Parts: sequence; C-alpha cells; structure tokens
Amino acid sequence: MLKPGIKKPGIAINSARCMACYACFMACKDEHCGWDTALSKSQPELGQYWMNIVEWERGDNSRHIKTATVPTPCSHCEDPACMKAAKNGAVYKRPDGIVIVDPEKAKGQKQIVDACPVGAIYWNEEEQIPQKCTMCAELLDDPDYPGFEPRCVEACPNQALVFGDLADPDSEISKLIAANKVTQLECLGDMKSSVVHLNIPTAFLAGTVAYPKELEEVCIGAKVKVTCECGTVFETETNWAGDWEVEDLPRDKKFTVEITMDGFKPVKIETATGTGTHADHYVGITYLEQA
Amino acid sequence: METIHMRSDSKRERITHSVGVGGPMTLHTIDGVIRRVRPIVLTDDDPAGWVIKARGKEYTPQRKVTMSLLGYCERDKTYAYDRLKYPLIREDFVETPDGKNRNTENRGKSGYRRASWDEALSLVAREIKRLHKTYGKETITACTSSHHSWGLVGYKISLFKRFFSMMGYTRVADNPDSWEGFHWGTPHSYGYYWRLGGPEPYDMLEMAMQNVETMVCWSTDPDTTRGGYSAQESALWRWWLKEMGVQFIYVDPFNNYTSVKHADKWIGPRMGTDAAILEAIAYVWITEGTYDKEYIAQHGHRFEEFKNHILGLGPDGTPKTPKWAEELSLVPAMDIKAIARRWASTVTTSGSGMRGGFGGACRHSNGTEYARLMTLLSAMQGMGKPGRAYWSPACGGPMNYNFWFGGYSDPLSSIAGAPICDEVPINTVEQVLYRPNLPDAILDGHYEWLGEGFCGGGVDLEFTRHVYPLPGYNKVHCFWRYGGSFIGTMLDTNKWVKMYKSPELEFVINQDIYMTPETRHADVILPACTNLERIDIGEVGNSGNGGYCSHSQTGNSWQVIVYQDKAIEPMWDSRSDYWIFSQVAARLGWGERFTEGRTEEEWAKRFWQFSDLPKHISWEDFKKKGYYIPPVSYKEEDKDPKTGLYQNWDRYPGFQWFAENRPCDTMNHKVFQEECKLGTFSGKFEFVSESLLYWEPDDEARRPIPQYQDAWEGFKSLSADKYPYGLISPHPRFDYHTHYQQHAKWLWEIPKNRVIINGNPYLVCHVNPKVAEQKGIKDGDVIRMFNDRASVLLVARVSYRVNPETIHAYTSSGIYNPVNYGEIGSVDKGGSINLLTPGRLIGDYVPAMSPYNCNIDIEKAEPDPNYGQGFEHILDAVDKQQLETERPIRTSAEADLLFCEKAN
Repeated sequence: MLKPGIKKPGIAINSARCMACYACFMACKDEHCGWDTALSKSQPELGQYWMNIVEWERGDNSRHIKTATVPTPCSHCEDPACMKAAKNGAVYKRPDGIVIVDPEKAKGQKQIVDACPVGAIYWNEEEQIPQKCTMCAELLDDPDYPGFEPRCVEACPNQALVFGDLADPDSEISKLIAANKVTQLECLGDMKSSVVHLNIPTAFLAGTVAYPKELEEVCIGAKVKVTCECGTVFETETNWAGDWEVEDLPRDKKFTVEITMDGFKPVKIETATGTGTHADHYVGITYLEQA
Repeated sequence: METIHMRSDSKRERITHSVGVGGPMTLHTIDGVIRRVRPIVLTDDDPAGWVIKARGKEYTPQRKVTMSLLGYCERDKTYAYDRLKYPLIREDFVETPDGKNRNTENRGKSGYRRASWDEALSLVAREIKRLHKTYGKETITACTSSHHSWGLVGYKISLFKRFFSMMGYTRVADNPDSWEGFHWGTPHSYGYYWRLGGPEPYDMLEMAMQNVETMVCWSTDPDTTRGGYSAQESALWRWWLKEMGVQFIYVDPFNNYTSVKHADKWIGPRMGTDAAILEAIAYVWITEGTYDKEYIAQHGHRFEEFKNHILGLGPDGTPKTPKWAEELSLVPAMDIKAIARRWASTVTTSGSGMRGGFGGACRHSNGTEYARLMTLLSAMQGMGKPGRAYWSPACGGPMNYNFWFGGYSDPLSSIAGAPICDEVPINTVEQVLYRPNLPDAILDGHYEWLGEGFCGGGVDLEFTRHVYPLPGYNKVHCFWRYGGSFIGTMLDTNKWVKMYKSPELEFVINQDIYMTPETRHADVILPACTNLERIDIGEVGNSGNGGYCSHSQTGNSWQVIVYQDKAIEPMWDSRSDYWIFSQVAARLGWGERFTEGRTEEEWAKRFWQFSDLPKHISWEDFKKKGYYIPPVSYKEEDKDPKTGLYQNWDRYPGFQWFAENRPCDTMNHKVFQEECKLGTFSGKFEFVSESLLYWEPDDEARRPIPQYQDAWEGFKSLSADKYPYGLISPHPRFDYHTHYQQHAKWLWEIPKNRVIINGNPYLVCHVNPKVAEQKGIKDGDVIRMFNDRASVLLVARVSYRVNPETIHAYTSSGIYNPVNYGEIGSVDKGGSINLLTPGRLIGDYVPAMSPYNCNIDIEKAEPDPNYGQGFEHILDAVDKQQLETERPIRTSAEADLLFCEKAN
C-alpha cells in the first residue's frame, strides 16, 4: 500500500550492497507469474525477468576478482522511449511516474519491446504482448494489501533495494541517493527515471608489490600513484597483503602507475583500463629492486 | 504452472504462515490457491529488537524476517510439474508370493500405473506382513533425507521415527555428511563431541562487532549456506562488519559468493592442501613468536611436540615452511606469510564453514586434520579472548536463552518421545545399516564399519564395531524411502542405482512429494503433500536447544515460532505423511496406538503446550496470528530508554569462560566444563591427541599430531595423470540438498545456476580461462566432466574464480537424468556430479564421506538436441490414465479449480 502522501514512488538500487542472492528476482516471479493483476497479464513461468540481475566478473587475474551485480528492472523513465514507440496509448505514465504497459492496448506491438534501451521489456509470444515491471503499482494502489513496498524491495535482505518518495528530500530514499554515487544506466544517457542506480562500478586497477623475489615477502606501505591520461591522479598504498587497488576509474583510458618505496628503485608501469565489462585490470606482482 | 486469470483482490485473500529451509513465510491464498509468498513483516504487536552498540554506532535488525530465494520459490515448487499426483505402482511389478521374479532390473526404467490409495496401501500392508512373516521385522529398512519438510510433527526424527520405531526396522545410521572432518576430528583436539565438533556460537556477533579487526573465513560461504536454515538473516550482519572496516580473508579453492563480494584477500589452495597452509601459518607464528604463549602454556597440552613437528624436528624432519606449503597448495609463500602476520598482529576471529565447524575443506581425506588444525590455530591466538573467537559470521546473534521452544533434534520435541506422546515407541531391532554404504551392504550382502554415524555421546562411539547382517538377523529385503533424494547427495551415486536394480530388494516403497531421482526406482509410490498443505508447528532455524547444533536459531535476527497452518488442501490425491503412516498403521492393526487419537493439529498443540509459549500467547491467539516472536529479554528495564530497543539481555559469549578460566556459563555445556575444562582427555587443547593415542594410535587418516597428508585421490595420486583437475563441489547456493532444483523451474533461470539448452537445464561449472583455452571451451559451452566412475554433462562458465587446477560445480544437483534411462553408468545430463565423487570413506577408522577427493577431466561436448527432461514422460503417461473404479478419495475442490479437472 502506498503510504499516504507519497508523490513520486521510486526504487534506489545500491549495487554496492547487492550479493546477487536472487531473492528480489524470485519475489518478482512469485508476484507476477501465473496470475493476472489489475495492471498486467501473467508473466510466463520461464523466459521473462522483470527484475533481471545483470552480473559480470570484474578482473582478468585470479589474484584480484570481484563481481558486479546490478538488479535491473524497468527504469520507469521520465520520458520513456517505449511510450513514444507505442500506438494507441498502449504505454502510459501515471501521474506518480510509474510507467505501465496496457496489456489490452499493447497487443501485437512488438516495437515496444525493441524501443527499450535497457532491454527491460519482454515479449510474450503466446499472448502477443510486451510485458515488464509495474513497480508492483497494483499492490501499492490497493488499500487492503498488507505490504508497503514493491515485492523486490520487501525481499531484499541487504537493504540494497530501497523504496520511497523521490519527491520528498527527507525520505530515506532521497537521503540514500544524496549520500551515494548515482550511476544511471549508461544506455539511458541523461534520462531521469524513478529507478535510481547507485554505485555501479566502472573500472579498477590493482596489483601487488613485493620485495625482491627471492625474499618471498609482500611489501606493505609502498606508495602507489595512478595517473590517468586525462590528468586525474589517484594515490593509494599497498595494504597488509601487499595489494593495492584504485576503484571507480574511467573506462578505456591509459594510465601510468608509479610505485615507490624507500630504499628501492621506483617502478613505472604503463597500463590501461578496458571497455564495458572488461574494464578492470590487475597489473600483476611488482617485485622491487634495491636502490 | 498454469496462469490463473483472476484479479488480485486482497479482500478475498486469506493469510497464513509456514516455515521452511528458506525461512518463515507469509502465505496469501485466494479461493484455495496460493497467490503469493511473502516474508513476515513485523507489526507494532511484535517486540522491539535488540541493539548492538559497537565502535560508536548502533545496529539493530530490520523489522522483517528475511527469506532466501528458496522461500520465494515455494509456490513454484508447490504447483510443480513433477509433483506426485496419485499413488503409483510400477507397471511391470508383479506381486509374486515369494518376492522373487519382480522385474527389479527395470527399476528406474519402467513406467507407472495410477492406483487408488486403497490399492496402494493394501499392497504395502500385504507386503509388510509377508516380509515380517518370511524374514522378521529387520528385513525392512527405511531412511529419510534431512529437511525436505519443516515442523516438529512432520519432521523425520518425529513422525517417521514414531512409525518405524513402533513397527520395528533396521535403522540406517546417518553420517554427518556436511561436516565430516569436524565431527571425526575436532573432538580429539578440543572436545565438543556433543556439538558434533562445532564451536560455541553464543553472542559472537556482538563480540565480533565490538572487537574484531580481521575475519578469517576458511572454506566458508555464509551468503550461500545461510547458517544452515536461517534464510538471509545474517546477510546484513556481514555488511555491518565489512562497512566498519573489518578485513576479510577468504580461503576456498572457489572464490565463493561471499568471498567475491567481501574478501580483502582471497586465496584458492589446490584441493586438499588446506592443512599444509595452516601448518605453515603455525610455522610463521612459532618462528616469529607471535602466538599467545601464555594461553598455550596454560591451556595447551603437549604443545612442544607439535612445535617440533612444525619446525621439522619431529619424525618426518620437514619444517612446515610457507615455501613447503606453496609447493603443495600453489599459494605463494609471500601470501601465506602475509595472512599469518595479519592474523597474529590484529584481533582476529577465524572459523570454517557455515557454523564455524563446517565447510567443504573438511570433507576430504585430510579433512579431520584440517579441522583439528583450524581449532588449534584458533587456540594459538587465544580462543575466547575478546574478538579472538572461533566463529563464522552466520550464527551467534543475540537470543533469549530463557525462552524455550523445542527444535527438531531436541529429544523433548518429537511425537516419538515424551512428553509429547503418551506411548514412546521403542525399535526392538538392533541391526543397523550405515547410509554411505547402504548400497554396498545390500549388493554384497555383508558390510562392516566403525562408529555410530553421529557420535554426540562421546569419542568412544567413533570406535564401536558394526557388522551387517547382525548375527542371528536376516538381511534387508525391503526399502522404504521417505522424502528427498540421495541420488545427488550421496557419493558414487551410481551404486544407488545398482542397488535399486538388485533382486535382493524384493519391495521398494517411496513416499515423497515429487518424482525425484530415487522415487522413480520404487515399486510403489505414495504421494505426500507439501508443508503448505498440512498443519505443523516449528521455529525458524531451530535445530534444538540441547540437540547437536544447539541454538542454531542464533543465525536469525529474530526468533520466530510459526503455526504452520494449512494454506491449501492437499492437491490431487496427495496426502500428509501423517495420514499415510496412520493408514498403514491401521492396516497393520495398530492405528490407534500410532495416532493416540490425535489429529495433526492436536499434535502441534502439544508442542505449544510443552514450551514457554503458553506463558505469552494462547493457542487460539497463536493460531490466529500465525507466529510468535519472543523479545530478546522480557524485562522492561533492559530497554534503552532513548530508542526503546533492547540493549541488555543475558549474554554468554562462547568460549570466554575458558579464556577467563571460570566455570562454563554457556548453554548446552557439560558438567566438567564447570571446572574450566574442555571435553578432551586432558581437559585442554590437545596438540597431541590423547584420545587418538588411546583409541587408535595407528590411524593413518588421523595422526596424534594433526598434519597435512597426501590424499588417496588428489593431485599426487596416479589417477591425476588421467584426470588432472580437482573437483570442488560445495553445498549449493541455489538449492538445499536436492529439495528445490528439480521442482522449482524458476531456479533454472539463474545464469550462475543452470542454462537451458534444448529444454534441458544443464548445471553450471566454473572453469579457469587458461583451461578453457587449452580445451577449446567457450563460456556457455556444454562440456563433459568425467573420470572412471562416471560422465556428467554441464555448461561451462569461464571464470577466474577458480585457479587452473580446480573446477567448481555444486553438489546435490537434485536432477539426475541419464541419457539412457535406467542404465547404470549412463552419461548424466542432470548435473548429478556426485556420480563422479568417490564412494571410499576418509579412512579405515574414519567412516566419513569424502567428496573433495575427486579427480576429473573435462572436454567440450555436443549434446544431442533431443535431450529433454527424462522423467516428464512418466508423469505425463500417468496423467492420461483413468482409474477404472471410482476414485475412493476426493480431490479437493481447490485443486479442481486450479487444474481445470471436473469435480466429482
């Protein structure tokens, strides 16, 4: 049930907290598979992922691997491409910003699926209709429904999904957005939307620094300076494991890594971040030499 | 699952509750059909939560009880395509009067015909009478999976035990398959045999949040194993620890799901070399003098000999240097040293597996030694001092120890025991079988082994001698299999298929909810209903307060006792297990004794009555509300006046009593602990085990000093020439044992779990890019994984999360689909990777499973596009059958509505 006074319901998705536990994915299936609702036709048992978890492995060496996990429902865009592509008002935006595909009017309109830059609209072959996330608006509208949030948000154990009023600067969701890095899906460009992605990673550079090889000792506290071809400088030092890492770097850029440690020759490494999901790079183990 | 064209109308929704291994559920039903499965969201009627104050911040749980993805699959699973709808009889089964010539070789291949309950139950009763008359009671054996259902009435140690104890049968002793090395190892180092080797988790979360700087998570994937059955309750705790700057070290040959998100340092040792790394860490501490010398002097037993062994002054003359460990594990010596120093120089808590005393690394031929070394290394850093705990971050939340509600392994919480039942049934058959070797015993007609399976009564129980058949007893000729499938979880699974085809088993009954891999090897199939179609009572995550993993519900942020109301009527002709057992008992002439005249609800009420619930909530209110959450304290003054949250409760931090040399105050302790002693012979940490020296000094798997040893199947064994990769097969993230994967199709759509190709859901395995390149395998390709024991088709995920010497695929697939149906050794396309694992036990004196000793090779495969689901045709054929006689049992109107059948 939409709490009284919520003007612009939205979902903030904090990728930094997502463990890809798939609770949201399953809760969405539980809500929408096998049952028609006031706003949507039933989702088929297989083949549609209204709450899709986009996941990629980050890194190119087993010594430094992470994963990016980005729950990706419909973004509920301010100016939806799907709405423009639809005929007879088959896609409409409610006054509260939630974008709905009308299952009756949208019949046969496959172009609605193709119009979505996110790939969040699915084609139901049997029903010949496009389908997608409704932000569980049919539940939020229902004064007798005992829950207060879309099913995916209610299911998240990690507080990676947060629901609330985007129009209220004091709401939990607005505060969360203000305190974190907003990372709109790149395919949406500057488009504003009611689903706000936070902390989707871009690229890291990482490495390990060790003393001369025969010593078999990692080097703790070595200074690492990472300079981007664009001029930005990042500074860090190696931790207790001899590892260093610089996160949130721009993709597809050349970098110079300079490693310094008192008593040892400085080391300079020319390297680069890659593109897309291959952006992250582990530069290797750097063995220092006595100065 | 069929679409129901009906609008959601919450006014018509009925709300009930239940609980499973995926957590507690709020079930919405409309006209007898489940509409949705939600978590329990707390209301103002529920108590305030606890607050942990740590490092200047306050932490309190969310006001909802989480569910894991498995909980959200319950609706898909309830209406699954592979539900058993009717009693079935194997179509070529012949009820010969002597039990011979019954076409047993066709088990697993033959189809089934639909039967009425009366026909199926009469056949079962006739056969039991015949078998009893011919061979005696011992000729029937029966066993169960763990956790295919939840609830104190219906659980295996309750209902199943009541029926079979009353009838008399050859019991099958379980092995502690999830934590073998701890069970058979650590009692010889620090006692805790009554916890089956696991440490005390009590109040460890608060202890960690206030003190810990480094967490060593060895063979631990808490986000996947979820404290056993505590849903995702502890997920947030780990974020709290992470975000306050605690450094996480993960050690696991697979960079697991928690590690890949939380680890500050991950190392992936070669399979079976964990003990070597631990010895090398001890080497660093000993040579650098960075262990807790005072603590060891006081609490260690024969440490000097251990020290000499590590330094190379013992009989083997090898110093256990990081370089030595590097050559075995392939983990660089510099990393081992760095971890050793971080561990010693900061306040560090270490643990293995989901509860500190679990983890895949202990399911290996060197697993007891790994487990003992984990324990001893924790002692070397002062186990029990603030923040220096033996704990994995999944259990140990605040709990109200003064509130009692039984868990499933509590002796007091079973309808087979007092005070719940009036007549306590006693099984008079002394003959026993041992689960890992059940097929060997049936096939060979003779089997000998040591130990009681679960040896919670003392280490002497590890050395009891057993022989099958027991002199004076007849062999087993009937197998009654109940709930879930062992094909998928037991090792060298082909031998289970072989067993089922043997004429030694004259009669096989399978009582289950689904057509599982084992169900389709039965002669008679009795269709049970799910947890959601019957009444029960149970607490989330509670294995027992006094049972073997006592107080496991500390894996939750909230203690939730649930009235497991019937959400829907049993569908088709399925019936509750209680009904099925009652009917058989009645036909055998002791129905009244069995039921004591009680319905399932009346049994459930007994558990309410014999708990602390009546002090706080009436039976009627409990049923109406559906659950009860006790506060962490019942005292108003324990609340923080500012926030209203509980800041005080009775705390008994695990092991602190020992470090502080005071009488033990933790729950579930033994009398001798009140003299500040451990449960070893010496009462101390035994670096040289006196109990092993006493019981079995020549044990080659467990040496008096725990140490690395080459595996009987590993990278140094001969089979590694043919099969160069080590298979790591941990407990699954997307399933629970075999209980979800085949039934809930939604799980197949998780790209890290399965990939559907030509209709077949192939299980995923992780292959290092270097190996993939050598083998010409691309991400998403179908591959054949094989060794001398079997071949399994899988889909490759090319990933740096394993090193080149290791390949990862989850155990207990739940689906077993041989390409040639019913043929022993046929290539499996279901992902049942335990076809590949060895049946050999860890050692002559360690009767434990050892799935991590598994050498394999892989190659790219071209699967036949016609491979579909192997079992569907059986169920489809049955669906088309009509009963000639009128159906004796009604099909519920709700099921008719859902499945468009004509009402009777």
